[in-house]
Amino acid sequence: MLPIELYEGVESAWCPGCGNFVMLKAFKQALGELDLRPQDILVVSGIGQSSKFPHYLACNTFNGIHGRTLPVGTGARLANPELKVVCVAGDGDCYGEGGNHLLAAFRRNVDLSLVVHNNQVYALTKGQASPTTDPGQKTTLQPQGVPYQPLMALALAVSQGCSWVARGSATDPGHLKELYKQAMAHKGFALLEVLQPCVTFNRVNTYQWYRERVYRVEETPDYDPENELWAYQKAKEWGARIPTGVIYRHPRPILEEAHPALAAGPLVRQQPNRPIDQLLADYL
Amino acid sequence: MSVDLNILIGGAAGQGVHAITMPLAKALMRQGCWVLAVQSYESRIRGGHLFNKVRLSDRRLISSREGVDLLVALNQETVTLHQGEVSSRGLIIYDASEVKELPGGIPHLALNPEELLPGATGKAEIAANAGACGAVLGLLRAPLAPTVELLKETFADKGAEVVEWNVKAATRGYDLGKALAFDDSLAQITPPPDPRLLISGHEAMALGALAGGLQFISGYPMTPWTSLLNAVAQRAPRYNVVVEQAEDEIAAINLAIGASYTGARSLTGTSGGGFCLMTEALGLASMTETPLVIVVSGRPGPSTGLPTRTAQGDLSFVLSAGQDDFPRAVLAPGTPAQGFALTARALNLADRYQMPVFLLTDQYFADTQFTHLPGEFPEVEVDRAITTGPSSGTYERYAYTEDGVSPRRLPGFGPELVVADSDEHTPDGHLTEDLQVRVKMHDKRLRKLKTMVPEMGGITTAGDPDAGLTLVCWGSSLGPVQEAVERLQAEKTPARMVHLSDLWPFPQDAVAAALQGTKKLVVAEMNAVGQFHRLLRQETGLKADHLVLKYDGAPFTPEYILGNLSNIA
Repeated sequence: MLPIELYEGVESAWCPGCGNFVMLKAFKQALGELDLRPQDILVVSGIGQSSKFPHYLACNTFNGIHGRTLPVGTGARLANPELKVVCVAGDGDCYGEGGNHLLAAFRRNVDLSLVVHNNQVYALTKGQASPTTDPGQKTTLQPQGVPYQPLMALALAVSQGCSWVARGSATDPGHLKELYKQAMAHKGFALLEVLQPCVTFNRVNTYQWYRERVYRVEETPDYDPENELWAYQKAKEWGARIPTGVIYRHPRPILEEAHPALAAGPLVRQQPNRPIDQLLADYL
Repeated sequence: MSVDLNILIGGAAGQGVHAITMPLAKALMRQGCWVLAVQSYESRIRGGHLFNKVRLSDRRLISSREGVDLLVALNQETVTLHQGEVSSRGLIIYDASEVKELPGGIPHLALNPEELLPGATGKAEIAANAGACGAVLGLLRAPLAPTVELLKETFADKGAEVVEWNVKAATRGYDLGKALAFDDSLAQITPPPDPRLLISGHEAMALGALAGGLQFISGYPMTPWTSLLNAVAQRAPRYNVVVEQAEDEIAAINLAIGASYTGARSLTGTSGGGFCLMTEALGLASMTETPLVIVVSGRPGPSTGLPTRTAQGDLSFVLSAGQDDFPRAVLAPGTPAQGFALTARALNLADRYQMPVFLLTDQYFADTQFTHLPGEFPEVEVDRAITTGPSSGTYERYAYTEDGVSPRRLPGFGPELVVADSDEHTPDGHLTEDLQVRVKMHDKRLRKLKTMVPEMGGITTAGDPDAGLTLVCWGSSLGPVQEAVERLQAEKTPARMVHLSDLWPFPQDAVAAALQGTKKLVVAEMNAVGQFHRLLRQETGLKADHLVLKYDGAPFTPEYILGNLSNIA
């Protein structure tokens, strides 16, 4: 167990009361409880309020561009599987701008965690609808109400055989910390969506709104996250009741095992040696 | 006696034009010919018209040329489209089951699949292909045995029966060819004491990347870039390279950036529209000072353009792609040997200067097979320029330095945390809104280009160094321009070539020195507006007297260049 002070980053620019603070603290606690030293961790982010997350931590950081968190994290992880890689994205970043990479991540099953800070709104750009904003909600860009159906990302993940799918909530920090730990301990691609109240731009999905709805799925009698159809039902549940906890688990081989180049250890620790005469032999 | 022959092998996609070109070209190369084989193909799997032009000589070849001395027609269309190119000494070898109309006045040799492989029904394609291959060799009085060996190698995985059919058809074709008279003979050409190589531009670059320590390659398939990705992928298991097929070009470049940030030598590449998708992350690589080599293999645009044809139309785009100013380097090889060396060098430059380094190629360079000497592919130096060992004080990934290059450490190799950011950032990598920091950091990044300039050169010259007529070219135009200059020289018109492979940062002094004494400046390039000429003017103030431009999608030839110089030379 390492002290959470070890992960102290630079001063935050988030609004007071933001759900991100709850997440940051729970994440630091999870790192400490997993005995992960800052140098062993790489947090990759994109653009959005959530993407400032790694700056407020002490760890290796790659803060890239909007929507591209997953490919950067995947490349980093394939080059050095000794690093614990966590990709941090928002609902706009991951489910909107970077949607294709999410689909590819389900297929690849690279061993990293993706944490989606889902505040159901675009906060950095001040209040437009995100892919998860509920229909009818009025926003700066949709004054008549959002006409689109929200993306059910967890149901999509289950349908595509994502190897680990969970939801946490900033209204339940202890539970969230455990989910962070499980996501990082899972061997394979772990999708953890976290309900993150935005106190400035989302006046609908507040702490109170989430508190009234979320429940822990593991408290459902006999719930088995390896039962795909049951998991799919839980992943589609959204409204009066919103499940949190590990919704789906589908252990399968990870991408790192499929790359023969990694059998000799991390690429970054290898010393390539390719004699010229051997390279040219095919062309003589 | 000097030999310079052009063999055109044409047919529909799926008829095996490529399958016989390579064994034939390679056998002739092993036999002692200098071989240069160009591919021309359409964007389709079956049908259409494709052809390979194999040029052979007893002297070194650096370019394709116009004209056809042996037309090998696997279908009627090949005859119809190319009969006008057949030279006065030319001859047509054709598949008699496909070709029904022949032009008058050109000698020809009919190959009847039923006679070449009696009873082998459904094997007409093998008979025609291998038979034509044998007939060419017989006609040219070249030994058959090396080609038979290559046919055996090529078709080994298709089973003993297929190998036997190929050998049988080639042998009968050989006898038919040998019975005919032909002006040119390869009988005097003997295998060289030391073996030579037959290699394409992209294959040579794949080897350069491997020799240069490449560990990670990501890409999305797109012609003509794909051939480089394939060439690395085929060798990846042997040399421990991670190959990731990306879901799109945006992922391809971001994957490579992630791998490179972590410390793996990384390369990505694409063509045309694929590079449009990469441009945002190009700025990311430069902003985060992540080493990255990007191959952009040209084809005519805009948009989908002519997907399988050639062009040098992306130079302006590659030089300026992305928002605001940021450092990048641009290199463009002219020969496979240059491609090999430049790819290894690009990996070093990317690491040393922590920026994206482009390698500009095109379909002509990518696919054309050149004959080279192994000695032209020397050992390469690998310079990772990574800082290791304990640091004094807090490590700053973007520390201000005089030359703009900050010590680069890798994450996970010590207690130093490596913080990279696409936002404007402080030296420790955290995002900032401090406008003074912005100016200092922007200056630091741009300073790296100035630091790099002395490493830029890459000028190849040919012809008469004192000639007033100078033909300037870049990248893949080297061969055709050099041969055009050599032909001018042979006709007693003094001329010289100045070829650039290092395009950015622009080697101003080296170019000025190379162009000294020029009275008539000609720039030759494969685009419609003279993109390199604009760069030359911007960087040196020099204005060309004449531009030789080509943008129809077919490669330059010496004849085309000379034809466009008739008013000037």
